[in-house]
Amino acid sequence: MFGYYTHLALKSFRRNPGLTALMVIAIALGIAVCVMTLTVYHAMSGNPIWWKNDRLYTVTMDNWDPNTPYRAQPKLPPPQMTYKDTQYLFASNIPERKVVMYSTDGVISGAGSAAAQRVGTRLTTADFFSMFEAPFLYGNGWSASADSPPQPVLVLSREENDKLFGGANSVGRTLRWNDHEFRVIGVLDDWFPRPRYYDLNGGNFDPPDGAYIPFRWGVDLELLNNEDTDCWRPEKIDNFKDFVASDCIWLQMWVELPDAATRGRMQSFIDGYWGQQRQAGRFPRPLNNRLTNVGQWLRDREVVDNDNRVLVGLAFAFLAVCLINTVGLLLAKFLNGAAITGVRRALGASRRQIFIQHLIEVGALSVLGALLGLALAALGLAAVHHLYAAAHLGHRGGYQELTHLDFVGVLWAVLLALAATLAAGLYPAWRVGRLPPAVYLKSQ
Amino acid sequence: MSLNVRPILSALLRNRTGAVLVAMQIAIALAVLVNALYIVMQRVEKIRRPTGIDVANIFVISSAGFTDHYQAVPSIREDLAYLRGLPGVIAATPLNAVPLSGGGSSFPLVTRPDAQRTDNFNYFEVDEQALDTLGVRLVAGRNFRHDEITPPLTRTDAARFVPQIIVSRALAERLFPHQSPLGKRVYDSLNQAATVIGVVDPLMGSWPYNQHADWVFLVPRLPATFFGALDYMVRTRPGQRDALMRMVEAHLAKSNPDRVIHWVRPLTYFKDLSYLGDRAMEIFLATVTALLIAVTCLGVFALATFNVSARTKQIGTRRAVGARRRDIVRYFLIENGLITSSGVLVGCALALGTGYWLSLQYALPRLDLYYLVGGVLLLWAIGQLAAWQPARRAAAVPPSVATRTV
Amino acid sequence: MLKMQDVSKIYRTDLIETYALRSFSLRVTAGEFIAVTGPSGSGKTTFLNVAGLLESFETGSYELDGNDVQRLSDDARSRLRNERIGFIFQSFNLIPDLNVHDNVDVPLRYRRLTGADRRERINSALDLVGLTSRARHMPAQLSGGQQQRVAIARAIAGDPAFLLADEPTGNLDSLMARQVMDLLEQINEMGTTILLVTHDPELARRAQRNVHLVDGQISDFRAYEPRNAGAEVARA
Repeated sequence: MFGYYTHLALKSFRRNPGLTALMVIAIALGIAVCVMTLTVYHAMSGNPIWWKNDRLYTVTMDNWDPNTPYRAQPKLPPPQMTYKDTQYLFASNIPERKVVMYSTDGVISGAGSAAAQRVGTRLTTADFFSMFEAPFLYGNGWSASADSPPQPVLVLSREENDKLFGGANSVGRTLRWNDHEFRVIGVLDDWFPRPRYYDLNGGNFDPPDGAYIPFRWGVDLELLNNEDTDCWRPEKIDNFKDFVASDCIWLQMWVELPDAATRGRMQSFIDGYWGQQRQAGRFPRPLNNRLTNVGQWLRDREVVDNDNRVLVGLAFAFLAVCLINTVGLLLAKFLNGAAITGVRRALGASRRQIFIQHLIEVGALSVLGALLGLALAALGLAAVHHLYAAAHLGHRGGYQELTHLDFVGVLWAVLLALAATLAAGLYPAWRVGRLPPAVYLKSQ
Repeated sequence: MSLNVRPILSALLRNRTGAVLVAMQIAIALAVLVNALYIVMQRVEKIRRPTGIDVANIFVISSAGFTDHYQAVPSIREDLAYLRGLPGVIAATPLNAVPLSGGGSSFPLVTRPDAQRTDNFNYFEVDEQALDTLGVRLVAGRNFRHDEITPPLTRTDAARFVPQIIVSRALAERLFPHQSPLGKRVYDSLNQAATVIGVVDPLMGSWPYNQHADWVFLVPRLPATFFGALDYMVRTRPGQRDALMRMVEAHLAKSNPDRVIHWVRPLTYFKDLSYLGDRAMEIFLATVTALLIAVTCLGVFALATFNVSARTKQIGTRRAVGARRRDIVRYFLIENGLITSSGVLVGCALALGTGYWLSLQYALPRLDLYYLVGGVLLLWAIGQLAAWQPARRAAAVPPSVATRTV
Repeated sequence: MLKMQDVSKIYRTDLIETYALRSFSLRVTAGEFIAVTGPSGSGKTTFLNVAGLLESFETGSYELDGNDVQRLSDDARSRLRNERIGFIFQSFNLIPDLNVHDNVDVPLRYRRLTGADRRERINSALDLVGLTSRARHMPAQLSGGQQQRVAIARAIAGDPAFLLADEPTGNLDSLMARQVMDLLEQINEMGTTILLVTHDPELARRAQRNVHLVDGQISDFRAYEPRNAGAEVARA
């Protein structure tokens, strides 16, 4: 019967090609706009390390001004930490893994035949690579023993390795970083978490850094953060020593805690330290030390912007109008075919069979609409991608990273087609089933 | 000329499904149109705010010294001499950050020592050619003199302040409301004082999407390089920017082996990038709203056409008993007008409700009633226009239809 | 086979009640050929709709082939209509964008039949009406008489217990009308009961029995020579 009804549906389309095209286009447009906004929304709201959501936590403490909360956010502590606080907390053995890091700009020279070039560099402790599961193409990261005192070892991203060494296995080669000699010990494979959850102080969708070196180099070479540094206390900061002793925040700290018990212990440890420091006159604001998992962190940092939410709402409003439109057109079309439906009823079709026949016709429309809609969505996303990529002069990063139509978009198209069938088709198909056949068969 | 609305209305109410569907579409279309237009207008206004800067003719260079041999002051002097000597260059200045780029530094200032510091203000480290390079207007006081430009902050005296600053008029109004700021003093967090010697207007700073993007002050000091890099801003005569960019990049990349030129970019790159989100939002909102209105038009047209074709017998009969063509047109336009009006009415409530909700949820400002009125008129006109052709077609139905049986 | 007892069909608006059928009773045995006549407005079409399970009725009872129709659900009524009744309409009512073969196929699709079974029935039905050569043609390519014959093929393809024909020759010229009536007689001789609604007394004469309706009631009946013995006479 399904084959027969599909056959009837196609005949019905051919009988009224203009009306059918109109309905398919209406559904397609509604689905296209929804798939576009939902694709971007999904990419923006994704948790790139969702399988570790119960294990990875960022550490934040509220060391801010007693008179004003950080950036007018009364409930949240500032997103970065001071040097003093991270140094103390890092010494704890409670976490399974721990990382303190920040990013700076360095100049790499003497790498093969490549010209000297500026490279965004992450100064981090050893656990970074295992904690955030950064995959290696060649070599590996350094161990904790290379952190202190800091060894002149360096990990390159794949893009940077392509630029400097033409993509060859550069493990063991030396180069100069800010005119100090470093040895390459690892090259990362393709890795572009979206958003860049472990450091949201630059662009949320910017690519990861080009190079990674042990954290203590930043202190030894007195390197400053190239993203966000914030201070509130009126303290004299004349030199780097003053800076690391100050209440300025410029560091990110992450810990890996395998279970709730460990988490409880870590929280107590942090709060205990807070209490001590409070006695000494620091931490004037109320207690607000947090261990935040990635999902919550992305929400706190408002990675999904309001604009995108408005667009998703708009897309659904548009889809609703397209579907209401389709209901009207379907009603008109089905009721116009009342005579033929009457004949079928006279020949023995039950109301249910008429209902199903017409519902399948709507289903076929929705399938066509979804296919066309997917094509339009792909075109639309490509146009948006082009718009953003052009503005970035061809560099990666920013919203162009969110415009890739993947299986989630296709899934949405399928779901929306299903919803469209039911929303647009249920009432007209039911109505046409209830038509009294006698009225339409009158011979006069 | 009697409108005779009541029989039309009761006929409509008896067969209301199609009418309800169209009215719903019109209602949603109005709610979307009004709110989307409002949001778009806000963004357009934001993008149109004057920067005060001659953006089209400016390019920026990022230079990073990386060896121990690199010496900031001689290097800056050499680079500026080269840049300022190029034909086609109006002026050049060193900078610690690029206006309109989303990156920069800010600093707390107060007007009395030991006062509570509540706001940080965006600043730029510049020399005496900054005003000519940016192309900003000096509206009061004077520019920095060459001898007033202080050396860059170093790793051993990073807390030093300057004796004079130039402020934007918006910042002057914030610090010294309704007074001239000239000659007055401001204090940093260590109570070091500077005197305001000049006012520029307008001047937009590092973060154009912020509410107070124009609270900016200029500091007469060479940029420090321990932050990693410094920038040079160059203003050219119209039309010469791109050629000079290429020449400058080629020269500076080789002129000093102790530093690297990271990029040379036009200021338009930074401005466009900062406003990219707003522009994309505008385009998307405008497109979807236009499509929405098109689909709604289609719905009105389809319903009107269907009504006409379903009632040809009735139309013929009316004509046969004496109705003129324009009576038929009037009938259908009135019927359509009732539907459109009820849709618009519900749409008003929906538009206001949505506007209110948006203002709460997303801190958008409240809907301006002009937009609502405009939206109502527009949608009502479109709704009637879409039914015009079917109504004309109805009037063309011949009276002989009344007597036909098939 | 068909037993209607005191059936009334009432059309109600806010102010008026119209009796389309008033205490109507009729008994039909299997194999009969019955003509139902009467002036326009007498209720012939309503009777046909009620008999064909196309419309419900307010009072009385209707038993078709042993089934009490009142108690049946829409599904059951549709199945009964599909399997036991064949319809023939004045305006043929063929589906215009299906060809002859697919038109005859329509009622068969609502049963559980295999493709081969359906094809066989369609072929034998088309054979009976003499239109096998036109199986792939569209209705628009046929004359009025041919279209009605296709409708007849459609009506008998499912081997129904009885045919309901509503003015089957109303839109045909006299030659085609005669062909159609010959066909109906042939089908009746093969054992199918036929109920023919017409206002043409000439056609009515070809039936065995004549039921005359006025204002929803049987006014009188004329019994003609029954072809089969044992025809029962209906009482008003």
